[in-house]
Amino acid sequence: MDKYYLYPATLFASDTSYEVTTVLGSCVAVCLWDNVKQIGGINHYMLPLWNGQGLATPKYGNIATEKLLQRLLELGCSKSNITAKIFGGGEIIDTQISSFNIGERNIQIAKETLADLNIPIIGLSVGGKLGRKIIYYTESGKVLHKFIEKTLGNS
Amino acid sequence: MINDSTLISELEKRFNDNKRVIAELQEMTDQLKSVNKMLEESEALKSHFISNIRNEIINPFTSILNLSKQITTMSDIEKAKKSASLIYGEAFFLDFQLKNIFAAAELEAGETYPQIYSVNVLSTVQNLVDSYQGSLASKKLNVVINSSVENDFTFKSDPGKLTLIYSNLLSNAILFSKEGGTIEITLSFEYDSMAFAIKDNGIGIEQDKVRLIFDRFKRLDNTINTLSSGYGLGLSVAKAITDMLNGTISVESVVGQGATFTVLIPDVHTDTEATGTAIDENGMLF
Repeated sequence: MDKYYLYPATLFASDTSYEVTTVLGSCVAVCLWDNVKQIGGINHYMLPLWNGQGLATPKYGNIATEKLLQRLLELGCSKSNITAKIFGGGEIIDTQISSFNIGERNIQIAKETLADLNIPIIGLSVGGKLGRKIIYYTESGKVLHKFIEKTLGNS
Repeated sequence: MINDSTLISELEKRFNDNKRVIAELQEMTDQLKSVNKMLEESEALKSHFISNIRNEIINPFTSILNLSKQITTMSDIEKAKKSASLIYGEAFFLDFQLKNIFAAAELEAGETYPQIYSVNVLSTVQNLVDSYQGSLASKKLNVVINSSVENDFTFKSDPGKLTLIYSNLLSNAILFSKEGGTIEITLSFEYDSMAFAIKDNGIGIEQDKVRLIFDRFKRLDNTINTLSSGYGLGLSVAKAITDMLNGTISVESVVGQGATFTVLIPDVHTDTEATGTAIDENGMLF
């Protein structure tokens, strides 16, 4: 199985078997998986909403989840077979992002975006005061999840 | 039986209802107008972008085609050399613009990530300045590099991304400098971060517009847009890449006295992918 490390503000999807690792503080990762095609993808965003300035990168939740879905559809997935899992959004003391309640707002936008897209959420581990390390298996859609003391960088 | 006063009060009520509905309708129309205005602006921005792309890509291509065709029939070697160097200049510019466009597309697709190596900043910047000799010479600009780091100093970062940030700032500085001016580049390594500052003697940026310059496709003065190159994509690319490298980019400027852009990029320690301390060894499966 190939391995991939997912950086903040990026996303990954593949129709082959991958083990994708990412580390989350106040950031949120949305994992989408098509249970018929057995194809999965994951994003890792830092802020809830794109404000229309700068590039529309997957640094922002609303952009990241829509782009991830788009990528899965391009790989031949059907929206009706896709389910979601959400991770992260902890209240990590973070000097790089000074906005208030960033974790909570990141979680909220994941739920709202998925509701708008009619994608059911079948698993989640969000909020709290700890960081998380998750390993996502694109073929099975399963997620191995560990709490961690702190994270590096601004994830 | 209905008496006059009930009739009048009923009429009054209906008139008031009517007024209220009209007021609501007015409010809705106002809202619609403002949304419409925003759409217009965004449409204008889009067509602006397309016409700029035409200037940035089609025009250099046309020059390259014409110049290279001329060379095939030239007998004078010196003349041919001159044409070749013009072709090189146009191709260099085209290559730079395409790099920005693809970098923006990759960033927006979330497909690009830091690829960390040891970077010798001083030689990176010197090579970069050398590559711009053509456009520097044509505007008679002088570049001064003040470096407080040693010649062989390296730090860990993504060399390709760093070069794109720096070349966007240098290209902007050249673009906005007055002829015969000096561009000053200052390099230093402090607090675990690489600082790159570039100062030009150009037109400068008004305080209230500083915030806007990292916006994509935005140039502060649309009227000069057709006369000079660049469509504002470069700075938004530089900003997004800087974010990805956990850095900051800032600008200080006085109108008429030029601008100084400063980029701080933190050193990436080898444990960048470290995951903190797991406090829950067994983990959970979702």
